Amino acid sequence: MSSFNDLAESVITGNFGKVKEITQEMIDKGIGPLEIINDGLIAGMNVVGVRFKAEDMFVPEVMMSAKAMAGGMELVKPLIADTDMPSVGTVVLGTVKGDLHDIGKSLVAMILESGGFKVVNLGTDIAPEGFVKAIREHKPQIVGMSALLTTTMLNMKATIELLKEEGLRDQVKVIVGGAPVSQSFADEIGADGYGSDAMVAKDLCFKLVGKAS
Amino acid sequence: MRFEFLSEAEVKQVHQATLAILNQIGIHTTSPRLKKLLVNNGCKEQGDRIVFPPEVVEKALSTAPKTFKVYGRDDSHMLEFGKNKAYAQTCVGTPSIMDLDSGEKRDVTLKDLEDYVKLADALEYIHVISPIFPRDVPQEIIVSAETVAMLRNTTKPLRICAESSHEMKYIVDILAAVAGGKEALRQKPLAYIEVSPLSPLEYGFDPAEALIDIVEAGLPLGVIPCPMMGSTGPMTLIGCVAQHNAEILAGVVASQLLKPGSPVIMSPRVTFMDMRSGVGLWAMPEMGTAAAASIEMARYYGIPSTATGYSGAAKSADAQSGYEHLYNALMPALIGTDVLAAAGSLDNVLTSCFAMLVMDNELSSVVQRTIQGVEVTTERLAVDVIAEVIESHGNFLAHKHTRKYLRAGELWDPPLGDRQTFEKWALKGEKIEKKAREKAKELLSNHQVEPLSAGVDAELELILKRAREEAEIF
Ligand code: B12
Repeated sequence: MSSFNDLAESVITGNFGKVKEITQEMIDKGIGPLEIINDGLIAGMNVVGVRFKAEDMFVPEVMMSAKAMAGGMELVKPLIADTDMPSVGTVVLGTVKGDLHDIGKSLVAMILESGGFKVVNLGTDIAPEGFVKAIREHKPQIVGMSALLTTTMLNMKATIELLKEEGLRDQVKVIVGGAPVSQSFADEIGADGYGSDAMVAKDLCFKLVGKAS
Repeated sequence: MRFEFLSEAEVKQVHQATLAILNQIGIHTTSPRLKKLLVNNGCKEQGDRIVFPPEVVEKALSTAPKTFKVYGRDDSHMLEFGKNKAYAQTCVGTPSIMDLDSGEKRDVTLKDLEDYVKLADALEYIHVISPIFPRDVPQEIIVSAETVAMLRNTTKPLRICAESSHEMKYIVDILAAVAGGKEALRQKPLAYIEVSPLSPLEYGFDPAEALIDIVEAGLPLGVIPCPMMGSTGPMTLIGCVAQHNAEILAGVVASQLLKPGSPVIMSPRVTFMDMRSGVGLWAMPEMGTAAAASIEMARYYGIPSTATGYSGAAKSADAQSGYEHLYNALMPALIGTDVLAAAGSLDNVLTSCFAMLVMDNELSSVVQRTIQGVEVTTERLAVDVIAEVIESHGNFLAHKHTRKYLRAGELWDPPLGDRQTFEKWALKGEKIEKKAREKAKELLSNHQVEPLSAGVDAELELILKRAREEAEIF
């Protein structure tokens, strides 16, 4: 029979099929879903996180690992109540209005997912109203905005203003990022945090939800 | 001079792959105008995509002009596109700049844009001016404000990037005011304007609409998507080049369907990523080698082109930025391109730097010198001269052939670099960045730019006022 180690190893190597196969096998054997998640799937992903940080793994490999983990999660999910699902938190992410730069934000999404966050990726060109709608729908702990243009980063401010107007500002932490954005700009517009890259964004999110990364 | 990066057979292979991409995968667009233009002129709808039959592509390639000119306020700065002269262009769009006094990175201001353009105006081997993006102007009218600032501070030709179509009318009015009317502007365009579709193969609403507006205004159009190997294009360099070639040709075809013979420029920018950290890179060697391959495609079609050029990942004007910029500029220049962009940039085109612009002026000088090649004549081969010197038991220093060709400029003269004896150099012990910074300061305090006439200047102010009012900024 496959061990938790085998499951973790399959996550690390990004072997989608194998992860599903072992997870199913474990479910059939009656192993507890939380054990499968914590000792197999997340254990593997934690190693991926460490290796990526140490620059031992490539971005597309991390992506495959995250996908493989998600494949296993899907199988165990029906077996446990939503509230028992070990999730570090939910993050709504989008590139602000008028801005089509997608890659940096998607990279942040991937790294957050690999850290155990549930990420709702809204896409690009998201108006303040779009963020508001998504916050109401998904009730995230954190909302992240990306902007790559000096012309569009002002829409981060507009979004924060709208969150205040809608009475949502106290319910979420707001983080911002993208090449022209800086810590001082984040402070100026009243955001809760700024991340210069995806790994920093992950640490920041862990800090904001009060958990250790 | 004729260098090859891809063999002739390989060029044809990339062309075939390009035709297959356009014919089988095609593009997607959210612009009804672009869609209508394409489908009414031989392209076909296939699901939600538009595909390009090879005949349509080949026909457009045959009507695209092989040469055209872009002018400065001063005619002596005229650019001849299609002649592969490797003009240097300042980097567009950097949000940050290295402060000339403190050497620290900070946000770009309008004053920086003015100074930077003035410095570029003063530098002999910088030929095309593009704006850095100031944060202290109303961002709704930023391109209009930049265009006015540039016209006030240089007499060289401009390269503008149209983020969207909403400012196009002001931009055209501003350029026309300086050119002396819209017809005069069409005759002698003061700028070429570039649009960025999204990779892979997506013509978003804004770039698609701007593309049509630019061609309709009769201004030269540049098509400049920016795929990233393994992220928004295939991981393989040649695969990314082929996809990129297809997405650029889609824009070329659109321009020719709209107005056959309208001037269009292929501006390939295949970039890549540090797959360990996720940092977007404009570094070497991939940037230069991919540019060489893409530019070889433009050369094959006989369509004018631009490449980057003076870019790298280095964070200061130093040895790394020097070697990165020279490598990335020389590769496409040797194949044959019209403009090398990103002069003065650092940090993967995120920061501009006065000192780096002065260094790139030096690199541009040597790149241009290199692509001039050598003239092979009997007199230059100098067989007689060699015989005479040997016979006289003397040396070449005393021969008049030496004086003649020395005076004719046989040796390159570095505008900046150090070539003194060690002892003389050691007196000040100056590094290149310091020298470059001092030269920038000196040029900024001494260089005079021919001002616009008071009438034209006032007219530009009025256009800006109108743009502000229409954007409801007071
Ligand atoms: C690729 C690219 C494009 C592509 C985008 C394709 C796509 N699908 O995303 C295309 C060609 C479409 C494009 C278009 C334009 N672009 Co552009 N583009 C770039 C480029 C080269 C790379 C961006 C990138 O993907 N980087 C790689 C990713 C991984 O890094 P990143 O985005 O910085 O993200 C990291 C961090 O910033 C951070 N992060 C990002 N988001 C977030 C969010 C949060 C919450 C957190 C915590 C962290 C975080 O983490 C990420 C991962 O580590 C940059 C230059 C550069 N070096 O950044 C110019 C650049 C951003 N573009 C620029 C310009 C001018 C434009 C155009 C206006 C050009 C034109 N004429 O059309 C248009 C605008 C279109 C629009 N409305 O959005 C300028 C910006 C100018 C300015 N000062 O505002 C730049 C700086 C280039 C330049 N010097 O001109 N561009």
